[in-house]
Amino acid sequence: MADQADFERDAMEHTRQLYSAAMRMTRNPSDAEDLVQETYLKAYRAYHTFEEGTNLKAWLYRILTNTYINKYRKESRRPSEVDLGSVEDLYLYRRIGSEESAEAARTTEDRVLDGLVESDIKEAVESLPENFRIPVLLADLEGFSYKEIAEILDVPIGTVMSRLHRGRKAMQKMLWDYAQKRGLLPQGAEKP
Amino acid sequence: MSSPDCDDALTSLYLYLDRELEAASAAEIREHIDVCNGCRSRFDFEARLKTVVRDRLAEDVPDEFIARLKQALSEEAADLQ
Repeated sequence: MADQADFERDAMEHTRQLYSAAMRMTRNPSDAEDLVQETYLKAYRAYHTFEEGTNLKAWLYRILTNTYINKYRKESRRPSEVDLGSVEDLYLYRRIGSEESAEAARTTEDRVLDGLVESDIKEAVESLPENFRIPVLLADLEGFSYKEIAEILDVPIGTVMSRLHRGRKAMQKMLWDYAQKRGLLPQGAEKP
Repeated sequence: MSSPDCDDALTSLYLYLDRELEAASAAEIREHIDVCNGCRSRFDFEARLKTVVRDRLAEDVPDEFIARLKQALSEEAADLQ
């Protein structure tokens, strides 16, 4: 059983991560702050039920995610789909990699990866429907394992894997569009 | 066991980058990408993209918010006592 007196010391080190995730969930600073604060208060009240030595960060994320889903989300409860009709795996890489030489491809890769600014990445993630966005955040922002994500979201690991796969693909497609808009691609790289 | 071919490696690409493979399978993938330029290039790109995404999603937390949060927690602590 965890001691509430230790809560601040142990839990406050995750504030930046939780806030970053909350920003991508709610899409605005004021709701993100409310969401994180509510998460911390709920966690504090329930801290005596937290089993010491288990994964505090995952526990906080579970509270954050559930609070978001129950209170802040504006989307319908039905999981939405993204249209990935012709989007193949490694979408971005394959588009960039159609250069004549490996060297030229590498130069374009660098330009794209350096040139996609924070707002591009953030908007690409925020554009994902929630059932894809949250697994992508948990895996790519937080580095949680599939098993941890499954536990946080209460879904089977297979579901985590397929949502992650589809979410990342959709995100790559968005990033390709941003790369084009920003002129990060060589002349003649056409949208397929 | 023989080294995986390119199809096997690509199928496991994200499992590998997400550190979801068992040590033996991860070692096989590593062996393959060491010798296969095409796969190495793909793995490198996806790994770099993953890092770019992580780094550019991180937000700075406003100091005023941290202060408010601490305040709310101490009020809560006082209430619970």
